[in-house]
Amino acid sequence: MNQFAIRFTIAYLLLLPLQALVFDHMVLFNVAVPFVFIYLIVMLPVTLNTNVSVILGFLTGLGMDLFADTPGMNALSCTVLAFARKPLFHLYVTMDDDLAGRSPTVQTMGAAAFLKYVLTLSLCYSVLVFTIEAFQLFIPELLIARIAGSTLYTFLLLYTLDSLLLRRREKRL
Amino acid sequence: MNELLLFIRKNSKWFVFAICAIVSCVMLFQSNPYHQHLYLTSAGRAVSSVYKSGSMLSSYLNLRSINEDLNRRNAELQAEIAAQNEVIERLHELGFRDTLVTEAGVRHFDFIVAHVINNSIARPFNYITINKGSADGVRPELGVIDQNGVVGIVSNVGSGSARVISLLNPNFRLSCKIKRSDYFGSLVWDGKDPREALLEELPRHTVFEPGDTIVTSGYSAVFPEGLPVGVIMPDNNEHNENFFTLRVRLLADFTTLGNVQVVVNNFRAELDSLTVGESEDAKRKPFGN
Repeated sequence: MNQFAIRFTIAYLLLLPLQALVFDHMVLFNVAVPFVFIYLIVMLPVTLNTNVSVILGFLTGLGMDLFADTPGMNALSCTVLAFARKPLFHLYVTMDDDLAGRSPTVQTMGAAAFLKYVLTLSLCYSVLVFTIEAFQLFIPELLIARIAGSTLYTFLLLYTLDSLLLRRREKRL
Repeated sequence: MNELLLFIRKNSKWFVFAICAIVSCVMLFQSNPYHQHLYLTSAGRAVSSVYKSGSMLSSYLNLRSINEDLNRRNAELQAEIAAQNEVIERLHELGFRDTLVTEAGVRHFDFIVAHVINNSIARPFNYITINKGSADGVRPELGVIDQNGVVGIVSNVGSGSARVISLLNPNFRLSCKIKRSDYFGSLVWDGKDPREALLEELPRHTVFEPGDTIVTSGYSAVFPEGLPVGVIMPDNNEHNENFFTLRVRLLADFTTLGNVQVVVNNFRAELDSLTVGESEDAKRKPFGN
Protein backbone atom coordinates (compact mmCIF):
# COMPACT_ATOMS: atom_id res chain seq x y z
CA MET A 1 0.00 0.00 0.00
CA ASN A 2 2.77 2.36 1.00
CA GLN A 3 4.70 1.42 -2.08
CA PHE A 4 1.67 2.28 -4.17
CA ALA A 5 1.41 5.73 -2.52
CA ILE A 6 5.02 6.50 -3.46
CA ARG A 7 4.56 5.23 -7.02
CA PHE A 8 1.37 7.25 -7.46
CA THR A 9 2.97 10.46 -6.14
CA ILE A 10 5.94 10.12 -8.47
CA ALA A 11 3.69 9.34 -11.44
CA TYR A 12 1.47 12.31 -10.53
CA LEU A 13 4.38 14.75 -10.36
CA LEU A 14 5.81 13.43 -13.64
CA LEU A 15 2.74 12.85 -15.79
CA LEU A 16 0.83 16.10 -15.19
CA PRO A 17 3.68 18.46 -16.22
CA LEU A 18 4.48 16.09 -19.11
CA GLN A 19 0.87 16.23 -20.27
CA ALA A 20 0.83 20.04 -20.04
CA LEU A 21 4.22 20.63 -21.66
CA VAL A 22 4.37 17.82 -24.23
CA PHE A 23 1.21 15.84 -24.91
CA ASP A 24 -1.15 18.84 -24.98
CA HIS A 25 0.91 20.16 -27.89
CA MET A 26 0.79 16.87 -29.81
CA VAL A 27 -2.75 17.50 -31.06
CA LEU A 28 -3.36 15.79 -34.41
CA PHE A 29 -5.40 17.49 -37.16
CA ASN A 30 -6.67 19.92 -34.55
CA VAL A 31 -9.07 17.25 -33.22
CA ALA A 32 -7.23 14.33 -31.60
CA VAL A 33 -5.83 15.09 -28.12
CA PRO A 34 -3.76 12.41 -26.32
CA PHE A 35 -4.94 12.23 -22.70
CA VAL A 36 -1.88 10.35 -21.47
CA PHE A 37 -2.33 11.51 -17.87
CA ILE A 38 -5.33 9.19 -17.40
CA TYR A 39 -2.67 6.51 -16.98
CA LEU A 40 -2.81 7.69 -13.35
CA ILE A 41 -6.36 6.29 -13.19
CA VAL A 42 -5.63 3.26 -15.37
CA MET A 43 -2.80 2.21 -13.05
CA LEU A 44 -4.86 2.30 -9.82
CA PRO A 45 -4.90 -1.22 -8.31
CA VAL A 46 -8.22 -2.94 -8.89
CA THR A 47 -8.65 -3.86 -5.25
CA LEU A 48 -8.16 -0.25 -4.15
CA ASN A 49 -11.03 1.14 -2.08
CA THR A 50 -13.45 3.05 -4.33
CA ASN A 51 -13.42 6.05 -1.97
CA VAL A 52 -9.67 6.38 -2.31
CA SER A 53 -9.67 5.93 -6.07
CA VAL A 54 -12.42 8.54 -6.55
CA ILE A 55 -10.46 11.05 -4.46
CA LEU A 56 -7.24 10.29 -6.35
CA GLY A 57 -9.16 10.65 -9.62
CA PHE A 58 -10.54 14.00 -8.51
CA LEU A 59 -7.06 15.24 -7.54
CA THR A 60 -5.68 14.09 -10.90
CA GLY A 61 -8.36 15.99 -12.79
CA LEU A 62 -7.98 19.06 -10.59
CA GLY A 63 -4.23 19.15 -11.22
CA MET A 64 -4.82 18.91 -14.95
CA ASP A 65 -7.42 21.69 -14.80
CA LEU A 66 -4.92 24.07 -13.21
CA PHE A 67 -2.55 23.47 -16.10
CA ALA A 68 -5.14 23.60 -18.86
CA ASP A 69 -7.29 26.50 -17.57
CA THR A 70 -10.43 24.37 -17.71
CA PRO A 71 -11.74 24.62 -14.13
CA GLY A 72 -13.83 21.59 -13.24
CA MET A 73 -13.87 19.93 -16.65
CA ASN A 74 -11.10 17.39 -16.15
CA ALA A 75 -11.91 17.09 -12.43
CA LEU A 76 -15.47 15.99 -13.16
CA SER A 77 -14.42 13.61 -15.95
CA CYS A 78 -11.67 12.01 -13.86
CA THR A 79 -13.99 11.62 -10.86
CA VAL A 80 -16.56 9.81 -12.98
CA LEU A 81 -13.86 7.72 -14.66
CA ALA A 82 -12.31 6.67 -11.34
CA PHE A 83 -15.75 5.75 -10.06
CA ALA A 84 -16.65 3.69 -13.13
CA ARG A 85 -13.24 2.04 -13.38
CA LYS A 86 -13.94 -1.03 -11.27
CA PRO A 87 -17.20 -2.04 -13.02
CA LEU A 88 -15.49 -1.48 -16.39
CA PHE A 89 -12.58 -3.65 -15.32
CA HIS A 90 -14.94 -6.48 -14.39
CA LEU A 91 -16.42 -6.43 -17.89
CA TYR A 92 -13.24 -8.14 -19.06
CA VAL A 93 -11.85 -9.86 -15.96
CA THR A 94 -14.23 -11.61 -13.62
CA MET A 95 -11.79 -12.68 -10.92
CA ASP A 96 -9.53 -10.16 -9.22
CA ASP A 97 -7.99 -12.35 -6.49
CA ASP A 98 -4.73 -12.71 -8.38
CA LEU A 99 -4.52 -8.95 -8.77
CA ALA A 100 -4.66 -8.05 -5.09
CA GLY A 101 -2.84 -4.75 -4.67
CA ARG A 102 -1.35 -4.79 -8.15
CA SER A 103 -1.87 -2.37 -11.02
CA PRO A 104 -3.60 -3.58 -14.18
CA THR A 105 -0.90 -4.11 -16.84
CA VAL A 106 -0.35 -6.43 -19.79
CA GLN A 107 1.51 -8.78 -17.43
CA THR A 108 -1.10 -8.97 -14.72
CA MET A 109 -4.19 -9.01 -16.93
CA GLY A 110 -3.06 -10.53 -20.20
CA ALA A 111 -2.73 -8.52 -23.39
CA ALA A 112 -6.26 -8.92 -24.78
CA ALA A 113 -8.08 -7.98 -21.59
CA PHE A 114 -5.70 -5.12 -20.85
CA LEU A 115 -6.08 -3.60 -24.32
CA LYS A 116 -9.85 -3.77 -24.09
CA TYR A 117 -9.71 -2.20 -20.62
CA VAL A 118 -7.48 0.69 -21.78
CA LEU A 119 -9.58 1.26 -24.91
CA THR A 120 -12.76 1.41 -22.83
CA LEU A 121 -11.27 3.90 -20.37
CA SER A 122 -9.93 6.07 -23.22
CA LEU A 123 -13.34 6.07 -24.88
CA CYS A 124 -15.12 6.90 -21.62
CA TYR A 125 -12.77 9.75 -20.87
CA SER A 126 -12.99 11.27 -24.36
CA VAL A 127 -16.79 11.05 -24.32
CA LEU A 128 -16.93 12.69 -20.86
CA VAL A 129 -14.53 15.55 -21.58
CA PHE A 130 -15.88 16.46 -24.99
CA THR A 131 -19.51 16.18 -23.89
CA ILE A 132 -18.82 18.60 -21.04
CA GLU A 133 -17.10 20.91 -23.53
CA ALA A 134 -20.08 20.60 -25.87
CA PHE A 135 -22.33 22.15 -23.22
CA GLN A 136 -20.38 25.36 -23.74
CA LEU A 137 -19.93 25.17 -27.50
CA PHE A 138 -21.74 22.53 -29.53
CA ILE A 139 -20.50 21.65 -33.02
CA PRO A 140 -21.78 18.08 -33.76
CA GLU A 141 -19.33 16.98 -36.46
CA LEU A 142 -16.38 18.33 -34.48
CA LEU A 143 -17.60 16.55 -31.32
CA ILE A 144 -17.69 13.16 -33.04
CA ALA A 145 -14.31 13.68 -34.71
CA ARG A 146 -12.77 14.72 -31.39
CA ILE A 147 -14.15 11.73 -29.49
CA ALA A 148 -13.10 9.19 -32.13
CA GLY A 149 -9.67 10.73 -32.77
CA SER A 150 -8.79 11.27 -29.13
CA THR A 151 -9.91 7.77 -28.09
CA LEU A 152 -7.63 6.07 -30.61
CA TYR A 153 -4.72 8.44 -30.02
CA THR A 154 -4.95 8.10 -26.22
CA PHE A 155 -5.26 4.32 -26.51
CA LEU A 156 -2.15 4.07 -28.69
CA LEU A 157 -0.03 6.26 -26.42
CA LEU A 158 -1.21 4.52 -23.25
CA TYR A 159 -0.34 1.15 -24.76
CA THR A 160 3.09 2.52 -25.75
CA LEU A 161 3.64 3.87 -22.25
CA ASP A 162 2.71 0.53 -20.71
CA SER A 163 5.04 -1.34 -23.08
CA LEU A 164 7.90 0.97 -22.13
CA LEU A 165 7.24 0.39 -18.45
CA LEU A 166 6.92 -3.34 -19.14
CA ARG A 167 10.42 -3.52 -20.53
CA ARG A 168 11.71 -1.81 -17.41
CA ARG A 169 9.81 -4.19 -15.18
CA GLU A 170 11.26 -7.18 -17.02
CA LYS A 171 14.77 -5.85 -16.66
CA ARG A 172 14.28 -5.58 -12.96
CA LEU A 173 13.24 -9.24 -12.63
CA MET B 1 -28.45 7.67 14.68
CA ASN B 2 -26.47 4.45 14.53
CA GLU B 3 -28.48 3.32 11.56
CA LEU B 4 -27.75 6.59 9.77
CA LEU B 5 -24.02 6.19 10.37
CA LEU B 6 -24.23 2.61 9.19
CA PHE B 7 -26.09 3.74 6.06
CA ILE B 8 -23.47 6.40 5.32
CA ARG B 9 -20.63 3.96 5.87
CA LYS B 10 -22.25 1.33 3.68
CA ASN B 11 -22.78 3.75 0.82
CA SER B 12 -19.68 5.85 1.46
CA LYS B 13 -18.43 5.54 -2.11
CA TRP B 14 -21.57 7.24 -3.41
CA PHE B 15 -21.14 10.11 -0.94
CA VAL B 16 -17.46 10.62 -1.79
CA PHE B 17 -18.33 10.49 -5.48
CA ALA B 18 -21.15 13.01 -5.05
CA ILE B 19 -18.97 15.45 -3.09
CA CYS B 20 -16.15 15.34 -5.68
CA ALA B 21 -18.63 15.70 -8.55
CA ILE B 22 -20.39 18.66 -6.90
CA VAL B 23 -17.09 20.47 -6.23
CA SER B 24 -16.15 19.94 -9.90
CA CYS B 25 -19.52 21.20 -11.10
CA VAL B 26 -19.25 24.35 -8.96
CA MET B 27 -15.89 25.11 -10.59
CA LEU B 28 -17.29 24.24 -14.00
CA PHE B 29 -20.24 26.60 -13.83
CA GLN B 30 -18.32 29.57 -12.43
CA SER B 31 -17.41 30.31 -15.99
CA ASN B 32 -16.67 34.04 -15.96
CA PRO B 33 -12.94 34.08 -16.76
CA TYR B 34 -12.37 37.39 -14.94
CA HIS B 35 -13.75 36.15 -11.64
CA GLN B 36 -11.73 32.95 -11.28
CA HIS B 37 -9.45 32.62 -8.32
CA LEU B 38 -5.82 33.09 -9.32
CA TYR B 39 -4.84 29.65 -8.04
CA LEU B 40 -7.43 27.95 -10.23
CA THR B 41 -5.71 29.35 -13.34
CA SER B 42 -2.41 28.73 -15.05
CA ALA B 43 -1.09 32.05 -13.69
CA GLY B 44 -0.81 30.48 -10.21
CA ARG B 45 2.69 30.25 -8.82
CA ALA B 46 3.29 26.49 -8.96
CA VAL B 47 1.75 25.94 -12.38
CA SER B 48 3.36 28.97 -14.00
CA SER B 49 6.78 27.94 -12.71
CA VAL B 50 6.37 24.59 -14.47
CA TYR B 51 5.43 26.40 -17.67
CA LYS B 52 8.34 28.81 -17.27
CA SER B 53 10.88 26.02 -16.98
CA GLY B 54 9.27 24.26 -19.93
CA SER B 55 9.46 27.36 -22.08
CA MET B 56 13.11 27.87 -21.15
CA LEU B 57 13.78 24.63 -23.01
CA SER B 58 11.39 25.03 -25.92
CA SER B 59 11.65 28.76 -26.63
CA TYR B 60 14.76 28.14 -28.71
CA LEU B 61 12.94 25.92 -31.16
CA ASN B 62 11.22 28.52 -33.32
CA LEU B 63 13.63 31.41 -32.90
CA ARG B 64 14.27 31.38 -36.61
CA SER B 65 10.72 32.20 -37.69
CA ILE B 66 10.35 34.71 -34.84
CA ASN B 67 13.52 36.40 -36.02
CA GLU B 68 12.25 36.63 -39.57
CA ASP B 69 8.96 38.09 -38.37
CA LEU B 70 10.77 40.69 -36.28
CA ASN B 71 13.05 41.66 -39.15
CA ARG B 72 10.07 42.10 -41.44
CA ARG B 73 8.24 44.20 -38.84
CA ASN B 74 11.38 46.24 -38.24
CA ALA B 75 11.67 47.01 -41.93
CA GLU B 76 8.02 48.08 -42.05
CA LEU B 77 8.48 50.41 -39.09
CA GLN B 78 11.62 51.91 -40.57
CA ALA B 79 9.79 52.62 -43.80
CA GLU B 80 7.00 54.21 -41.79
CA ILE B 81 9.41 56.41 -39.83
CA ALA B 82 11.07 57.52 -43.05
CA ALA B 83 7.69 58.46 -44.52
CA GLN B 84 6.69 60.38 -41.38
CA ASN B 85 10.00 62.23 -41.35
CA GLU B 86 9.41 63.25 -44.94
CA VAL B 87 6.01 64.68 -44.04
CA ILE B 88 7.49 66.59 -41.12
CA GLU B 89 10.26 67.94 -43.33
CA ARG B 90 7.77 69.13 -45.90
CA LEU B 91 5.65 70.84 -43.23
CA HIS B 92 8.78 72.56 -41.94
CA GLU B 93 9.58 73.76 -45.41
CA LEU B 94 6.06 75.07 -45.84
CA GLY B 95 6.68 77.45 -42.96
CA PHE B 96 5.15 75.67 -40.00
CA ARG B 97 8.56 75.68 -38.33
CA ASP B 98 7.53 77.92 -35.45
CA THR B 99 4.21 76.35 -34.59
CA LEU B 100 4.79 72.66 -35.32
CA VAL B 101 5.59 70.60 -32.22
CA THR B 102 6.99 67.26 -33.32
CA GLU B 103 7.34 65.54 -29.96
CA ALA B 104 4.23 64.45 -28.12
CA GLY B 105 3.90 65.21 -24.39
CA VAL B 106 2.67 62.03 -22.71
CA ARG B 107 2.70 58.85 -24.71
CA HIS B 108 -0.77 57.43 -25.19
CA PHE B 109 0.25 53.76 -25.12
CA ASP B 110 3.13 51.90 -23.49
CA PHE B 111 4.11 48.35 -24.37
CA ILE B 112 5.39 45.66 -22.00
CA VAL B 113 7.29 42.91 -23.82
CA ALA B 114 6.41 39.42 -22.58
CA HIS B 115 7.04 35.83 -23.58
CA VAL B 116 4.31 33.23 -24.11
CA ILE B 117 4.96 30.26 -21.79
CA ASN B 118 1.75 28.33 -22.46
CA ASN B 119 -0.73 28.46 -25.30
CA SER B 120 -3.60 26.26 -26.46
CA ILE B 121 -5.46 26.36 -29.76
CA ALA B 122 -7.33 23.06 -29.92
CA ARG B 123 -9.88 23.67 -27.18
CA PRO B 124 -13.19 25.53 -27.53
CA PHE B 125 -12.07 28.10 -24.95
CA ASN B 126 -8.37 28.89 -25.28
CA TYR B 127 -6.08 30.70 -22.90
CA ILE B 128 -2.47 31.91 -23.05
CA THR B 129 -0.05 32.26 -20.13
CA ILE B 130 2.68 34.92 -20.28
CA ASN B 131 5.74 35.40 -18.10
CA LYS B 132 5.03 38.95 -16.92
CA GLY B 133 2.76 39.79 -13.98
CA SER B 134 1.77 42.52 -11.57
CA ALA B 135 5.42 43.11 -10.66
CA ASP B 136 6.04 44.23 -14.25
CA GLY B 137 2.95 46.44 -14.44
CA VAL B 138 0.53 43.97 -16.06
CA ARG B 139 -3.06 44.45 -14.91
CA PRO B 140 -6.33 42.69 -15.78
CA GLU B 141 -8.15 43.89 -18.93
CA LEU B 142 -5.04 45.05 -20.74
CA GLY B 143 -4.76 44.16 -24.43
CA VAL B 144 -2.09 41.78 -25.76
CA ILE B 145 -0.68 41.97 -29.31
CA ASP B 146 2.20 40.44 -31.22
CA GLN B 147 4.06 41.75 -34.25
CA ASN B 148 1.33 40.52 -36.61
CA GLY B 149 -1.87 41.52 -34.86
CA VAL B 150 -4.18 41.24 -31.87
CA VAL B 151 -3.68 38.20 -29.58
CA GLY B 152 -6.00 38.60 -26.57
CA ILE B 153 -6.82 40.35 -23.32
CA VAL B 154 -5.37 39.80 -19.80
CA SER B 155 -7.78 38.19 -17.33
CA ASN B 156 -5.89 37.00 -14.21
CA VAL B 157 -2.59 38.38 -12.95
CA GLY B 158 -0.14 36.72 -10.57
CA SER B 159 3.06 38.34 -9.33
CA GLY B 160 5.27 36.94 -12.10
CA SER B 161 2.82 35.60 -14.65
CA ALA B 162 -0.55 36.39 -16.16
CA ARG B 163 -3.31 34.52 -17.96
CA VAL B 164 -4.60 35.95 -21.21
CA ILE B 165 -7.97 35.19 -22.83
CA SER B 166 -6.96 34.28 -26.36
CA LEU B 167 -8.74 35.70 -29.39
CA LEU B 168 -9.54 32.00 -29.95
CA ASN B 169 -12.07 32.12 -27.12
CA PRO B 170 -15.77 32.85 -27.68
CA ASN B 171 -15.82 34.79 -24.37
CA PHE B 172 -13.78 37.51 -26.05
CA ARG B 173 -15.43 39.89 -28.53
CA LEU B 174 -13.29 42.48 -30.25
CA SER B 175 -14.66 45.66 -31.80
CA CYS B 176 -13.21 45.90 -35.32
CA LYS B 177 -13.69 47.85 -38.50
CA ILE B 178 -12.93 47.42 -42.19
CA LYS B 179 -9.85 49.53 -42.83
CA ARG B 180 -10.95 50.79 -46.25
CA SER B 181 -14.52 51.80 -45.46
CA ASP B 182 -14.58 52.29 -41.66
CA TYR B 183 -17.70 50.13 -41.19
CA PHE B 184 -17.44 48.38 -37.86
CA GLY B 185 -18.60 45.07 -36.37
CA SER B 186 -17.47 42.69 -33.67
CA LEU B 187 -15.01 39.87 -34.16
CA VAL B 188 -15.56 36.55 -32.40
CA TRP B 189 -14.12 33.05 -32.79
CA ASP B 190 -16.57 30.30 -33.73
CA GLY B 191 -14.50 27.42 -32.33
CA LYS B 192 -13.78 25.70 -35.62
CA ASP B 193 -10.44 26.72 -37.12
CA PRO B 194 -7.62 28.48 -35.20
CA ARG B 195 -6.74 30.47 -38.33
CA GLU B 196 -10.19 31.98 -38.87
CA ALA B 197 -12.80 34.03 -36.99
CA LEU B 198 -16.12 35.71 -37.76
CA LEU B 199 -16.78 39.44 -38.08
CA GLU B 200 -20.40 39.86 -37.02
CA GLU B 201 -22.98 42.60 -36.81
CA LEU B 202 -21.84 44.46 -39.92
CA PRO B 203 -24.68 46.62 -41.31
CA ARG B 204 -26.30 45.41 -44.55
CA HIS B 205 -25.06 48.32 -46.63
CA THR B 206 -21.40 47.63 -45.82
CA VAL B 207 -19.06 47.85 -48.80
CA PHE B 208 -16.24 45.29 -48.75
CA GLU B 209 -14.13 43.07 -50.96
CA PRO B 210 -12.29 39.85 -50.20
CA GLY B 211 -8.76 40.74 -49.16
CA ASP B 212 -9.72 43.91 -47.27
CA THR B 213 -7.87 44.32 -43.97
CA ILE B 214 -9.75 44.28 -40.65
CA VAL B 215 -8.29 46.55 -37.95
CA THR B 216 -9.22 47.39 -34.35
CA SER B 217 -11.79 50.18 -34.10
CA GLY B 218 -10.29 51.93 -31.06
CA TYR B 219 -13.75 52.30 -29.51
CA SER B 220 -12.60 50.66 -26.30
CA ALA B 221 -9.67 51.79 -24.20
CA VAL B 222 -7.97 48.40 -24.54
CA PHE B 223 -6.41 48.49 -28.01
CA PRO B 224 -5.12 51.46 -30.01
CA GLU B 225 -7.01 52.22 -33.21
CA GLY B 226 -5.87 50.63 -36.45
CA LEU B 227 -4.02 47.52 -35.20
CA PRO B 228 -4.26 44.81 -37.88
CA VAL B 229 -6.43 41.83 -36.95
CA GLY B 230 -7.24 39.88 -40.11
CA VAL B 231 -8.11 39.77 -43.79
CA ILE B 232 -11.57 39.14 -45.28
CA MET B 233 -11.68 35.70 -46.92
CA PRO B 234 -13.24 35.02 -50.32
CA ASP B 235 -16.73 33.53 -50.84
CA ASN B 236 -18.49 35.28 -48.00
CA ASN B 237 -22.25 35.23 -48.33
CA GLU B 238 -23.50 34.48 -44.84
CA HIS B 239 -26.03 37.07 -43.73
CA ASN B 240 -29.42 37.43 -42.12
CA GLU B 241 -31.92 40.23 -42.72
CA ASN B 242 -30.06 43.10 -41.13
CA PHE B 243 -26.44 42.12 -40.69
CA PHE B 244 -23.54 40.60 -42.59
CA THR B 245 -21.27 37.99 -41.07
CA LEU B 246 -17.86 37.80 -42.69
CA ARG B 247 -15.25 35.05 -42.36
CA VAL B 248 -11.86 36.56 -41.51
CA ARG B 249 -8.40 35.00 -41.74
CA LEU B 250 -6.47 36.04 -38.62
CA LEU B 251 -3.09 37.67 -39.06
CA ALA B 252 -1.59 36.54 -35.75
CA ASP B 253 -0.37 32.94 -36.05
CA PHE B 254 -1.59 31.34 -32.82
CA THR B 255 0.26 28.09 -33.47
CA THR B 256 3.66 29.75 -33.04
CA LEU B 257 3.15 32.60 -30.59
CA GLY B 258 6.49 33.62 -29.10
CA ASN B 259 7.00 37.21 -27.99
CA VAL B 260 3.98 39.41 -27.33
CA GLN B 261 3.42 42.96 -26.09
CA VAL B 262 0.98 44.01 -23.40
CA VAL B 263 -0.66 47.34 -24.30
CA VAL B 264 -0.87 49.82 -21.42
CA ASN B 265 -3.19 52.75 -22.06
CA ASN B 266 -1.88 55.75 -20.12
CA PHE B 267 -5.23 57.53 -20.43
CA ARG B 268 -7.26 54.58 -19.20
CA ALA B 269 -8.14 56.12 -15.81
CA GLU B 270 -9.24 59.34 -17.50
CA LEU B 271 -11.45 57.48 -19.99
CA ASP B 272 -12.95 55.32 -17.26
CA SER B 273 -13.78 58.36 -15.12
CA LEU B 274 -15.66 59.86 -18.09
CA THR B 275 -17.86 56.82 -18.56
CA VAL B 276 -18.55 56.20 -14.85
CA GLY B 277 -22.25 56.38 -14.17
CA GLU B 278 -23.14 56.15 -17.85
CA SER B 279 -24.86 52.81 -17.47
CA GLU B 280 -26.82 53.99 -14.40
CA ASP B 281 -27.94 57.05 -16.32
CA ALA B 282 -29.11 54.88 -19.16
CA LYS B 283 -31.14 52.78 -16.71
CA ARG B 284 -32.75 55.79 -15.09
CA LYS B 285 -33.69 57.50 -18.33
CA PRO B 286 -34.45 54.73 -20.78
CA PHE B 287 -35.54 57.13 -23.53
CA GLY B 288 -32.63 59.48 -23.17
CA ASN B 289 -34.58 62.59 -22.18
